[in-house]
Formats: sequence, structure tokens, C-alpha cells
Amino acid sequence: MSAASAWQLSKKYRVLIVSLDPAHNLGDVFGVVLNHKKQRFTDSLYLKEVNLKKLCREYLQREISVFTNTYRYLQTINLDNYFSVLKYSPGIEEYALLTSIEETVRSERDFDYIVFDTPPTGLTLRFFALPWITMTWVDRLIEIRRDILEKRHTIYRIRGILDDKETILSYDENDDDIIKRLKTLKGNYQALSSVLQGKDCGIVLVYNPDILSLKESKRLLEGLRELKLPLRLLINNRTQKKYKAMADHVDSAMQPLAPAVPIQRVAFSERLLDGQNSTLYNIEETILSPFEMK
Amino acid sequence: MISSIVQRIRRIFADFDATHREKATALTVMEMEELENIFALLLLGSFAGFPSPPTFIAVELLPYMERELQVLCKRAKDCNDMLAEMCGTIGLE
Repeated sequence: MSAASAWQLSKKYRVLIVSLDPAHNLGDVFGVVLNHKKQRFTDSLYLKEVNLKKLCREYLQREISVFTNTYRYLQTINLDNYFSVLKYSPGIEEYALLTSIEETVRSERDFDYIVFDTPPTGLTLRFFALPWITMTWVDRLIEIRRDILEKRHTIYRIRGILDDKETILSYDENDDDIIKRLKTLKGNYQALSSVLQGKDCGIVLVYNPDILSLKESKRLLEGLRELKLPLRLLINNRTQKKYKAMADHVDSAMQPLAPAVPIQRVAFSERLLDGQNSTLYNIEETILSPFEMK
Repeated sequence: MISSIVQRIRRIFADFDATHREKATALTVMEMEELENIFALLLLGSFAGFPSPPTFIAVELLPYMERELQVLCKRAKDCNDMLAEMCGTIGLE
């Protein structure tokens, strides 16, 4: 669906489509081999599959290099390699995905539209929630850190330096590496939140006309509402004439949950059902019209 | 002779001053160490079974946390007798 919408938008605008799903099939849909780099499909359509493993590796490599710099003396007894165990830390994938969105939005300024094809509900909600969870934690950690620095300052002012050999603990926010890092993190996530909640960003929820998909979509809607993310379009995908009653039932259950959001139906391709050759990204219905620039 | 006496007197006053300053800040030092301990515990809570922040926050801050980790270890070692330590700090015999 994201490939089809990117294809349709690219007839009028410059579009970049990025697949964030670890099980990519963007290349399969367009019939090309993508090598995790931005690749031109037409003059106005570019494709990219994000290499999640590489992103995780790059992020961890950065952190491990800070470690090995700090604990450089361990190199003398060959213990520095043990930090590489960090690559098995849980939660790194979501962070890498989010970083990828942030970098794409920041660096790809030549496009009118950037379409992100996200992984299934669970992972998507987790990484959408990440900026808010992170900011809540970072705010609390900054508060505690400020209390620590205030106490250190008080101690320094009363006691002074008793001994030349004494290590002076940082008491100023500008000298404390931890609070500086926390502030940088907060700044990054605030910028990302404003992008995700901004008027230029919208989420399209695609579901199938069946009960399980309906239940999953309801949970996703709830999650998006909690995160205050803008839902712009609902797509009931793969509808078939003989199952019209089910499609109607699913739509009528979805609409009250997102009253102002239009629902678009996309029929299951008869040509594909008959086993005929068909370009997967070219569908008959016009989708994403609510997104078109006025 | 006189200069050495003056030096000694100076030293006595300096030590007297330092002792009083140390005493005046003892409670604040303990509070600060407790806060550092809490900070480390919050970041690395998963080790102690607490809900912890997203892993990457801990990973990002870990390289700068040497002192906090030392305090955490010291607190873990002394936690059997925290009451005695607090009594010692506030001067209860």
C-alpha cells in the first residue's frame, strides 16, 4: 500500500519511500534489488530499504568507542573487546529505527513527500512511543542530576579544596558530561516529537477486512491517540465484492474511533487473484488524496 | 624559632577550620552520595529488578558514570549497616 501511494504521489511530486520493516519487500514490489542505499526508480521516485542491523552496529560502535576511550588502560591487558557485548542490549533496534526516521527527515530536503513503510503494529507503536518515554525519563534524570550538582556546589563552597591531589567533582551544568549528554538527548527527541506531531506529518493506518485486523487496528488507534500522533487516513485494504458485508462491518466499527478521518477502500486485485501478471505498485484506486498539497 | 611556632599555630587553625568544614558538609556529602546512588540505580535498575529507562539512555551515559558506579557499589556493600553510618554522620554515639 505504501509502495502504491508513493507511486501515485510521484506522478505529481518528488517522493522518497523508505521501508523500515526488518522483513523488507519494497524491492520485490518494484521489481528491483535494493542495497540499503537510496535508489532512483523514476525521476520523481526514489526507494530505500533501511538496513537495521547496520544502523544498530553503527550506533553501538559509536558508544563502544566512547567506552574504549574512557577505559583506554584496558587495552594494555586486552580487555577492551569485552565492551562489544553491548550489541546484545535489548531496545537498540527501536532506537535505531527512530534515528533512521529522524536522519531521513532532517537530511532529505529535496523531496515533497517521504513515505515510511513501518513494521507491524507492536514494533511501530514501540518506536513511536520511544520519544515520549525517553523524554519522561530524561526529564526525571536531569532533575536528579541538578540536585546532585547543587549539593556538590554547596559542598565545594563550604569545604573548598582540602588537598591539591583532591579530585574536584563537576558542580556546574556546563562542566558535567552526564547532564550535557542528557540535554542533547532531550533536544533531539523534542525535535523529533515536533516533527512527528507537526502538520506536515500524518499516519495512514492500513487494515484488512477481517475481525483480527479490526481488533489490532483498534489497539493501534488507541496507542496513536495516547501518543497524540496525527492519523490522517484509514485504508481498508484487499476488500472483495463477495465479502462486502465484512468490509462494511469493519469500516463501521473503525469510523466511530476516528470520526474525522476518511476511509479509503482498496480492492483486492482481480488480476492477481487470477494469476495474471500485474505491477504490484500500480493499483486502480486513487489513495492518499487527503495528503495532497493544496 | 618564632616562625616555626607561628607556622604550627597556623597549621592548628587550618586543621581546626578544615575539621569544622568537613563536619558541616558531612550530611550534605551523604545526601549527595545517596542521590548519586539513586541516579545509578535508576539507570541500571534492570540489574536489581526495577523498571529501567530505555536501554540506550543507560548505554549513552554509562561511559561517564564511573563515580556513580563506585558509589553504588559502596552503598551495596554498606547497606547492611546504613543506620550505623547515618548515626555516625549526624554524631549519635
